[in-house]
Amino acid sequence: MEILNIINDEAVFLELNAASREECLQIMIDGMEKAGFVKDKAAYLAAVNEREQKGSTGIGFGVAIPHGKSGGVVSAGLAFARLANPVDWNSLDGKPVQLVFLIGVSDQDASNEHMKILIALSRKLIHEDFRKNLLAANSSAELFEVLQSI
Amino acid sequence: MIVVEGILQNKTGFHIRPAQLFMEKANEFKAGIRVKNAEGMEADGKSILGLMTMGFEYGSKIIIEADGDDEEPAAKALLDLVNSKFGEE
Repeated sequence: MEILNIINDEAVFLELNAASREECLQIMIDGMEKAGFVKDKAAYLAAVNEREQKGSTGIGFGVAIPHGKSGGVVSAGLAFARLANPVDWNSLDGKPVQLVFLIGVSDQDASNEHMKILIALSRKLIHEDFRKNLLAANSSAELFEVLQSI
Repeated sequence: MIVVEGILQNKTGFHIRPAQLFMEKANEFKAGIRVKNAEGMEADGKSILGLMTMGFEYGSKIIIEADGDDEEPAAKALLDLVNSKFGEE
C-alpha cells in the first residue's frame, strides 16, 4: 500500500482550526469530496460516526485514525489534518488529538483495503521521528515527502 | 517464559479495536508480552501501535510470548481473547 497514491492536496489541512472532533471530521470530509474520493458526504460521515461510537479511533500519541466503509466513497482515499489546537477525541490515553488521518473505503471493496491502509500508516506512525516530521511539515509538498519517508 | 499460538479468526482482521482490547488485556498483567507473526516480525504486546504494525489478517498465526511472574495467566487470557474473535464476527 503506497500512501501517496490515495491522498492529494485537496485532502490536506495544516493548522486546521476546528473546535471539536465533529467539526474536524466535517471539514476533512469536505476535502475528501473535493479530492474526488467521496460522492455522498452524509452517507460517509454516518459510517465514520458509527465507527467512532463503537470505540474511539484516537490511538494515543496525539493521533486519531477515523475511518468509514461506505457506498458514499468512490475510491479508497485518505485525508490528513494537523489541528491548530488539539481537540478531545476520547483517546485511549486520554490526551487530545492533533494529527488526524481519515480513511475512506467503498463498501464494495473486497480486498480489505482499509486494513492495508491502517497497517501502512501504523508502520510509519510507530516511529517518533515520523510523528515529529508530521508536526513540522509546512506545506502539502513537505507533508507528502514525510509520508513517503520510512 | 511461556509461548502460546493462536489463529486470528475475525474476518475484518486485526484493526484498531482488537489491538486496543489486546493492549488493555496485556496491561492487566505484570509479565512482559511480546507478539510475533509468522514472518518473524515482533512487537510489544502492550503497545497499540506496535500491535497494529503486525498486519494480522483473518487466518494469520499469532505467537504470544509472556515473561514474568504472572506469565501463565497472561498468556492464557490473551489467547482466550484471540479465540473469542475480540467479540466480533
